[in-house]
Order: sequence, then structure tokens, then C-alpha cells
Amino acid sequence: MSGNFTRGIILEQRKEPALRRKLRTFLNANYAGMLFESDLPYDGAALSGKQIIEIARLARIVDERDGLFLHEKLEKARRMNVKVVVGDAIDDEPYVSSQLNPLLFLKKEAGGGLRLAAKAVGNPKIYFAIYKNLSDLDLKTKLPKDIDGVEIRRIHGRYPAEFRTMDDFDSHGPAVLIGVCSLIHLYRAVYEHRIQSTCFVTVAGICVANPTNLEVSIGMTPTQLFERCGLAEEPGYVVIGGSMTGAICEDPDSYLVGTMSRAVLALRDEEKKRRYQCIGCGRCAEVCPENLTPFYINRYIELGKYETLSFYDIHRCIGCGTCSYICPSKIDIAENIKLAKIEMKRRRHEKEGD
Amino acid sequence: MLQYEPKAPYVRNRDSAFTVMMDVVIALLPLYFMAFYFYGLRALMLGLASVAAAVVSDFVCILLEGKKPYFRDISSVVTGMMLPLMMSAATPYYVVVSASVFAVVFVKHVFGGVGQSAFNPAAAGFAFAVACWPVQVFSYPAPFSSLEPFGTISAGLSSGPAWNLFQGGVPANDILDLLLGRFLGPMGLTNILVLATCLFYLLFRGAISWQAPAAFFGIMVLAMLLFPRIPESGPMSLVYEATTGMWVFGGIFMLNEPGTLPKRSSSRLAYGALAAVFTILFQRFGRAEQTFAFALLLTNVFSFTLDRYSERLLRRLRRVYLATRTKLSEKKSAQRA
Repeated sequence: MSGNFTRGIILEQRKEPALRRKLRTFLNANYAGMLFESDLPYDGAALSGKQIIEIARLARIVDERDGLFLHEKLEKARRMNVKVVVGDAIDDEPYVSSQLNPLLFLKKEAGGGLRLAAKAVGNPKIYFAIYKNLSDLDLKTKLPKDIDGVEIRRIHGRYPAEFRTMDDFDSHGPAVLIGVCSLIHLYRAVYEHRIQSTCFVTVAGICVANPTNLEVSIGMTPTQLFERCGLAEEPGYVVIGGSMTGAICEDPDSYLVGTMSRAVLALRDEEKKRRYQCIGCGRCAEVCPENLTPFYINRYIELGKYETLSFYDIHRCIGCGTCSYICPSKIDIAENIKLAKIEMKRRRHEKEGD
Repeated sequence: MLQYEPKAPYVRNRDSAFTVMMDVVIALLPLYFMAFYFYGLRALMLGLASVAAAVVSDFVCILLEGKKPYFRDISSVVTGMMLPLMMSAATPYYVVVSASVFAVVFVKHVFGGVGQSAFNPAAAGFAFAVACWPVQVFSYPAPFSSLEPFGTISAGLSSGPAWNLFQGGVPANDILDLLLGRFLGPMGLTNILVLATCLFYLLFRGAISWQAPAAFFGIMVLAMLLFPRIPESGPMSLVYEATTGMWVFGGIFMLNEPGTLPKRSSSRLAYGALAAVFTILFQRFGRAEQTFAFALLLTNVFSFTLDRYSERLLRRLRRVYLATRTKLSEKKSAQRA
């Protein structure tokens, strides 16, 4: 139950796909079901660990959690003698459920994939890690205790939960986190020899008529996804990634959705940004999960005193965006910190260059 | 497509600076209702005059600074509403207006406007009024006496129980009258039950944090109970001090003014404690019957320093924590090997 007293924010429920809403597929005919050529058997039990890693390499599976190739990750875990493999389905940002939903609806693939990954690493303990915000209290009853015989561990606490995951698992020894979607692709690669040609995204946002979790072909555009799910109104702007840390999509007609996209959100331009001067309430310092003081960091950034920032441990900022979320004056503190870090790096390089 | 570039996070909390300050305004309204109940229309007119003076001087200052006036910023309204509540209902208009102009121009805008001021504007305005017109501010009309909204006051004015306490005597008022606020005192501060309700409202709404008031009221109550300054038992002394003193109102509204409050929770505790210590010292050795504003102004000076020390402590703790954690994990891996 560690994590219930964590610092952070309790996020509200938004217009997002319900968890019981089925995962749908939306494939581009050209690439669906592309296979790779190999003599290896179509049977996970008959494969050795090295062969599973070889299949992951042939299928070009990318872990959606960090964008690394799955075979590289598994090889490294094997070398490090990892004791725990965790299937990561932690969607801690609102609107996004592109890891949890496939886990709930493709149980066999996810569980089988996790077992294969564990075999490739050298048979350590296996778990699934999931997270939902404290506000949805009824979820405890809805979510199963285990998936395909693998124990589910819930990450507790407030919003930035992803960075806390390791604390729950490294008591057994070194742990590795692998995204659930890449585990599903690993299962398919082993049993069907399929190249990873799809990815899982949540299409949601206030402007989307039917928020849905989709399995889509890699290389579709956000516009195509919105056509599939229906737009209730013209979106003000489109966000790729999470609603807390994602990026604005400048051109929804030509952006290509990939493995790391996670979510495509159509948001209304409703929040006519009412900007205020900082009133100094200090709520940012109350919610910061790293216990920093964003108030002073932001003030010194505004004053241009970059040399003072290291006193406030700016390098420990994880960029979760809680300070910007809570700010009653709607100041983009997280964005300012991000830019200041880049600026500090540039200055350091300049200094070293001289 | 967009006039501004939205920045992550794209979902934001519903609270804004406007709602935070509106909460304080809402919490001040019952005090105005009590003042109206005790002193009639003049109480409201004083409030209106003060708010109008504050808003107009704020507007002029913003124009002089070359900024764009922003009507959703109501911090000057809050300052203007607080000031007359601390004074007598018979205070002349020019006292209230000049106090509120002083607070906004010389305390808020000289330091750079909202959230930048080093001193609490309302406390400074009140201190200014006390320093300039002590007689007008501290001569109180009796509750339920009819006061003329304008012009000279015909009702008799005298000093209240706070003066008795200041002189070292015991007030002759009935305890029930004290608890219900029916005694000679500042127009909005006498009813302690309404004040307590305001405190709970603000805490529940999250408009103020609990740390500073908890430390402040904890130490104040203990000091009143254990070391009464009048020849009375502890609980009786607490009742007299809490009902007649300005520190209850100040601890709720002025101590928690976001601009001057420290930002870290540990320094907020220290800040509340420091404010309590200064309040007690000013009570014992001060030269006026209501000295909380002066004590608070002195405490404001330490706000940044407390934050700085708290941050330094936190840095050290963080490094110790990280060092022990890495040491533990190294030990574990050594054991496994």
C-alpha cells in the first residue's frame, strides 16, 4: 500500500474510453499480417531464450514505454541477471488507457508474451503493474486479480505514478519494465511470425464522439483516426501522447502515428487562457512529487538568474507537469523549467567550449 | 489556427487566482453582515468606500506602470474589504480611504504588484491608520447604536475591553456577550464564532493551507492558557484575549495572505510560530491595544529567509536519503553475489 501518502495530484475523470469498452482494430490493408521468414518453430515452449530474443529482433518490436528495441532490452536484462520482469500497463495520465485496455482484452497474448519475455531473460518472477487514479474508487471491483495466471500489482497513490513503479518491485532484485503492447506483439511474433505493424492508441478528447482504444497500423494519420471514431466538433488542437506530458500535433493530416504515440487527443480550444500574475500561493510546492519548490525555480527563471537554479535542485525535476496543472494563475511552470534546463545545458557547453 | 500555443499539461485544475481570492471575499462577507447587524448602514458604507479607494488606486497604479488593467484580479478588493473591519464603525471616511490607498500604492505596488509585495498590504494599511489616527481607530460606538451613514457621529464613543486588557485589568463584560460579539470593538472582528466558521470554510475550500494557522493558533492558545497577562485563570484569559484581540482575524485572513506566506510547508509552520511569538511580545511590550498588524509586518520580513533555510535543510535531507538508498541497494547486491 506504499504510495497512498505520496505527493501529487488527484486527476479528474475526462471524456475517455470506458475500460469495459472493447478494443477495436483499424488496419491499413497494405501491411496487416506481414510475416518474417524464419525456420524457428511456431511454439513458445520449444524455443530457447536466445531464440525468443532473435524473434523479437526479426519482428522489429519496439517497446512503447521507452522507444527501445525489445530485443536489445531483453538482451541487456539477460546480461544483468534480472530477477523481476514487470508488464507495464501504467496509464497514469487522464484520457489514456492504451496499455491497460489491451491488457484487459488480449489477456492470452499479454500473459503469454510476458512468459516468453521472462523465458528470454532467464525465468525470473513476473507481474503486471497497473495504475488508476485514486478518484475512481469503483475500479477495484472491476479489475481482475490476475491475468492469465500472472499476478496484477496495482500502483497506488497520486498522479505521477510511473516514476514510482520501480520502488514496488526492486525488493526482489533488479527489475525490468516492459510495455504490455510490446509483449502482445512478442506473442504474435512467436506464434504467428508477424512483424510489428500495428500499435495501440487511445483516441479521446472532448471533441471525439466515440472515445475508443484502437489497434491501428503504424503510419496512419490522426485525421484518419478521428474519421474512424467520429468528431463531435472541430478540434481546437490535437495532442499526441498523454494529456499531461504530450506534444501538440501541428499538422494532423500528415503526422504519422507510431509505436510511441499512445494517445491521440482532440481537445477544444475552450480554455481561453486567463493568465494571471503569480499570486505566490505556493500550491506548486505542495504538490511537487519530488518535493521541489517550483515557485522559486520559476521566479529565478523569470529573473534570468540561472546560476541560482541548481540550489533549488532543478535537475531533480521529472517533468510531470503537476505544478502547471495546479497553478491557479495558469503559469506554464513545467514548460519554463524544461526550457531552462536546455538553456543551462547550452551555457555549460559554451563554458566548456571556451 | 491558435492565437496562443497551448503548453503541456493540456488539462488544468479548475481553480484560478480569481476563485482563490473570491473564496476570501466570500469568507469576509459574513463579517460584513455582522457589522451591518451591529452598526447599520455605516459599516457597509465604510467597506464600500475602502474597496472603491483600493480598486481605483490599484487601477491608477497599473496604468502608471504601463500595464494592461485586468479586471479578474481582485486582490485589491480583498485588501479593501479587510481594512475597515479592523477599525471602529465610527471611523471617519478619510481614515479608511487613506489607509486603503496607502496599502495599495505604497505596500503593494511599490514592490511590484500582486504576489510581489514583501509586506501584507492590509496589515500595513491598518498600521498606517493606527500610527496616524489612533484615537479615531480605537474609539468604538456601542453595538446597536444608530450611526449616521454620513457626517459626524452623534453616538457616544469610548474604548472597549481590549483597552482594559492592555492596561492590565479584567474587562467587566459578560462572557456570553463576549462570545456573541456584543461589546465595544472593531466593527467586524468581535464575533469569534463567525470568524471560526470563516476559518473552516477557507480550510475546506483549500484557499489557505493548514500549517501556518495551526502553528500560530496552537502557540497563541497555549500562551494565553499558561501565561495570562491579566490576573485571571488561564481559560478565562483565553476567552478575553481571543474575543477582543485582532489576532484571531489576523491569523485567519492576514497571516495566510498568499504573497507573503512562505512556500514550503515546514517554513509555514515556523512562520506561524514566529508570528505567534512576535504577537505575544507585542501584546506584552507594545504601545497600542491592537498590535497584531505590527507583529505580522515584522514576521513578513522573515518569510523568504525561512524558505531559504527550509530549502537548505531539504537539500541536505534529500542527499542523505539518496546516499543511504544507494548504499542499501549496493549492500543487497553484494549479499546476492
